Amino acid sequence: MRAFRSFEFTAGLILTGIMGLAVILSPLLFPGGGMGQDLVARLTPPLTSAEYPLGTDPLGRDILARVVVGGRISFFVGIVSALGAVVIGTVIGLFAGYYRGPWDMFLMRFADIQLALPFILLAMTVIAIIGPGLDRIIILMIVAQWVQYARLIRGSVLSLRQSEYVQAAKSYGLGDLRILFVHILPNAMGPLVILGTLNVANNILLESSLTFLGLGIDPLIPSWGGMLADGRNYIQTAPWVTIFPGLAIMMTVLGLNLLGDWLRDRLDPLGQTK
Amino acid sequence: MRLNLSTVFAAGICASLAAPAAAQDILTVAQRQDPQNWDPVDTFLVAWGSVASNIYDGLVRRDENLDLQPGLAESWEVLDEGMRLRFKLREGVSFHNGEPFDAEAVKYTFDRLLGEVGGTGPQQSNYTTIDHVEIIDDYTVDFHMAQPDPVMLTKLAGYGAMIVPPDYIEEVGEEEFDMNPVGTGPFKFESYTQGAQVELSANEDYFDGVPEVDGLVFRFIREDATRLAELQSGAVDIMADVAFSAVPTIDSAGNLEIVSVPGPTIYSLALKTVEPAATADLRVRKALNMAIDKQALIDAFLAGRGQPIDSLQGELSFGYDPEMEGYAYDPEAARALLEEAGVPQGAEMTIDYRAGNSTFNEVAQALTGFFANVGLKVGLNPIEDGVFLNEIVPQGRTNEMYQFSWGGWTFDFDNTAYLSYHEGEKWNPYGTSEEMNALLEEQRNSTDQAEREEILQEIARLAHEEAYHIPLYNEETVYAVADGVEGFVPAPDKRLRLNSVSLSDQ
Repeated sequence: MRAFRSFEFTAGLILTGIMGLAVILSPLLFPGGGMGQDLVARLTPPLTSAEYPLGTDPLGRDILARVVVGGRISFFVGIVSALGAVVIGTVIGLFAGYYRGPWDMFLMRFADIQLALPFILLAMTVIAIIGPGLDRIIILMIVAQWVQYARLIRGSVLSLRQSEYVQAAKSYGLGDLRILFVHILPNAMGPLVILGTLNVANNILLESSLTFLGLGIDPLIPSWGGMLADGRNYIQTAPWVTIFPGLAIMMTVLGLNLLGDWLRDRLDPLGQTK
Repeated sequence: MRLNLSTVFAAGICASLAAPAAAQDILTVAQRQDPQNWDPVDTFLVAWGSVASNIYDGLVRRDENLDLQPGLAESWEVLDEGMRLRFKLREGVSFHNGEPFDAEAVKYTFDRLLGEVGGTGPQQSNYTTIDHVEIIDDYTVDFHMAQPDPVMLTKLAGYGAMIVPPDYIEEVGEEEFDMNPVGTGPFKFESYTQGAQVELSANEDYFDGVPEVDGLVFRFIREDATRLAELQSGAVDIMADVAFSAVPTIDSAGNLEIVSVPGPTIYSLALKTVEPAATADLRVRKALNMAIDKQALIDAFLAGRGQPIDSLQGELSFGYDPEMEGYAYDPEAARALLEEAGVPQGAEMTIDYRAGNSTFNEVAQALTGFFANVGLKVGLNPIEDGVFLNEIVPQGRTNEMYQFSWGGWTFDFDNTAYLSYHEGEKWNPYGTSEEMNALLEEQRNSTDQAEREEILQEIARLAHEEAYHIPLYNEETVYAVADGVEGFVPAPDKRLRLNSVSLSDQ
């Protein structure tokens, strides 16, 4: 396969694969979930104890376990919120682009307004009102991101609905739903997949930022952003508390972005010609 | 004048960076918060007190040991069983603008504080037991009280009682005074850049110790790490609001020193004493108290800069009882008590606390570890400050445990005890007992300090027996000081009076 000779694909797959595998296996590797505290062994440096290979945090918790278990939250938030936004955005974009009219107008102006709101500010306001939580973070991200997909899909649909094969399907008397989902959607999927992959990475970063700001999830549950926040005050005396979750975020996001780039090269008709 | 001085200040800052000292010694202090307004009646911020204690004087002054010393009053007497206080004022003192200080200024200050102007700020409520001030002669005043107030003398050293210049305020108006304050203190106000810094210069005529340095600069730097970096780079001489987690970094730096002093602030978990919370059962509340190793928390998260407490006050508080023994750390006994109370292993509880304080965030996480040791599954619920203070606590919508941290500036247990135990108070949403209410009122109506102390100790004992709270620790206030700064002795009330601090040539 030509695919395996691509640097982006290989590097992306390896990085994402390592992190993904660790996350999937985490319940077996660390049944304690990285929650156990050991105040006596707090801030143990890495590589100095067999029990804590990557050292411990200010509460004496195993950083290796927390990085791996924390990845579970990050991947979950990243994937679920991207999927949610893809599904909602796609459906809205399909209908808006196909039927046009006042609903299209209304939805797209609504989308414009939505795009004008800075996400972190919106998130801080909403969370200050309804309180923090994993489910709320996911919903917020879906609310913030469906717009991108809807606009993307709508654009494709606008051009596809004029194409001859769609006109042909219409003249056969096929139902609108069948035309939309069976004939138009598959031809509009390419950019969607690319954007989705890149957004998973983006969402992992967002979740980390929100948790870092104290707006995310329960501080007891390990998560990468939360670990960065825990280590912030110790960055001069115990840098390992922040370095390892930081590395984990970097590897995952880099891996996903590389995969996304590779996908774009494969699926984008202009990219293929090079 | 202004131009001239800013050149002087610029020279001073440069001099503290370069090795040989110039003629001007400027001491630079960095603190987190900018109080935004320099009028004594408009503030309750510690950040105000640290700066403005250098600008203003009160009739009395509280020293580093919390003892009252003469300030603008040379002496005082308590007359008519506490209904009248007579002050003999210091002669020959003038405000920074040249206006003389006399009985007129005292009367003006308190008329203003208790009148319309004071009503717009938070200080007035501390002084409502004063009925009015009467001028006896130019340097004698009588305070007529509406009711005896045993803490009033201490309060006269407080923010709201700082003496202000009548002619100046009448001339420039209230708004101008907020931004260009004039007092009698050891330093004169020079300039203020909102959000950045305030500059003060030495008052060479000060009656109570002419400042050692020529000027003071207070810089407002919000971010802890930035403030620390400024100290490390030598741009700042004294850093206030040092985070506990930064203490080891500063300790290990050769040219910096940590100076800490017990503060007024105590941290505790209040317990929900009504059904259906499991903590309605006294045995459960006692067990929770026994589950915590307070010293371990202090060593781990406060860099050792704190004292474990058994009531809602530190050792410096009036009403502290050194004889009182708290619940000792004993997880075995705690587990037994929980079992006796019918709380199953793995029972769930939740701690509500104020999000945003990184130290308490760590402490709260560690508390869940201690509770897990006695078989409880305790979750955390960090809440935004406004919601926590206005909606969750006063309306009794908390979970089993919720954060209570308080620091009464007066160091008098009455302040904390009344609002945590008296019927209808904000921090007592679940009620205590008739006996408790009676004791609290009794000490407020007494002017006999020995009797008050006994009652306050009785209140602490009663609260301990009922285990309304899990008292945790009394936090120290931590400063970091650069080499070359001499004579810095911080007061427990977080007011930085810096006239005796000097900078040595290096």
